[in-house]
Amino acid sequence: MASTVNFPGTALSAAVLSDLLEQVGQDRDRDAFRQIFQHFAPRIRTFLVQRRLSGAQADDLTQDVMLTIWRRAESYDRSKASPSTWIYTIARNQHIDYFRKTARAQQLDENDPHFHLNDDPAPDALVSRAEDVSTVIEALSTLPDDQRLVVDLAFKEGRSHRDIADQLDLPLGTVKSRIRLAMDKLRVCIGEQE
Amino acid sequence: MTERGQMMDDAWYMDYAAGSLDSVGEEVLIASHLELSGTASERVAELERIGAALLMVAGDETELNFSADDIFDMDAPAVAQTPLAANDIDSEIILPEALKSFLTGIERDVKWEFLGPGLQKAMLWDGPEQEKLWLLKAKPGVAIPHHGHNGSELTLVLKGSFHDGEQQYCRGDVEEAGPDTEHDIRIDDGEECICLALTRGKLRYDSPLLKLFQVFTGL
Repeated sequence: MASTVNFPGTALSAAVLSDLLEQVGQDRDRDAFRQIFQHFAPRIRTFLVQRRLSGAQADDLTQDVMLTIWRRAESYDRSKASPSTWIYTIARNQHIDYFRKTARAQQLDENDPHFHLNDDPAPDALVSRAEDVSTVIEALSTLPDDQRLVVDLAFKEGRSHRDIADQLDLPLGTVKSRIRLAMDKLRVCIGEQE
Repeated sequence: MTERGQMMDDAWYMDYAAGSLDSVGEEVLIASHLELSGTASERVAELERIGAALLMVAGDETELNFSADDIFDMDAPAVAQTPLAANDIDSEIILPEALKSFLTGIERDVKWEFLGPGLQKAMLWDGPEQEKLWLLKAKPGVAIPHHGHNGSELTLVLKGSFHDGEQQYCRGDVEEAGPDTEHDIRIDDGEECICLALTRGKLRYDSPLLKLFQVFTGL
């Protein structure tokens, strides 16, 4: 299923990223921010394009997200979340705000040939990766196809469970039970690692 | 498995974690629920790790046309948020932050109106598909007439508690109702109950008198 993706080179470990965020928060350290920027900004942009934003919209929003990280690094608490989870929630929330302000009509056409979903890299390509990314990706790869599909549609395309039911032409209850089964399995795999 | 009476269906938590909820009404209600329920917010935090992992495996080969230094240039003092206009509800209950900031954003005060004997409502927001976000205030011991729904309803308890049949709902709990659910609600004795409700579609009453009454309540 997963094809090889040109996978990014050196990844910074969660511990290093947490240190950098703290340096930004406490000392307004610009060099530390530059490293965070280099690590996250391209990924955030790719993520937003997957979510059907145009290139220009994704550029704007990526800048807003990075600005928020610069301003709010002070509130980052490493005991509560990993750097990637903290930054993911910022990107997600700002995307929602942006989406609510922009008419749905302005969303990118899904039939546009430039719009495509990337496959995830194969789990074995992730073994040496920082943080618990590989654990999560591995856990996702163990899901049956029908459960994996609902998770992908939600997290990658940003579709609600109602949307998914419409799109797959399934009763809402069926989609809900697939989500429940998927979440129970993922919780077992992901929950153990801290 | 989710436990009816406290937690919501996983589908909602996944949508919240993925940022894929259909409406701002759903976001406000669920964010408020997460503030009040530690178990629910832990569950969402687990699911956010899925989003974070998928963000991290998104390719980073994109050439950006801006740099970290542009971000420093964009930085300007943050604008202070205007506080929510004072109104009676603040003295009655502590509104979840998510709800407060939503009301501030849409510049909406909580204005109570008559809904029925011992019942008041405050409409907060109207969305597409007849979606309505509103507050319900009920006196202790009040029974809400037997009714069903043409759409769905989410009800988050902010203060006090109620029973629907045998099941009790307390502060932080969410009751989910679909088109097939029939309600028989009684507010618990001792304290008034305030709930944040999100309804899609009109309520459905069996009694013709209540159908007539519905015209006036707008629900």
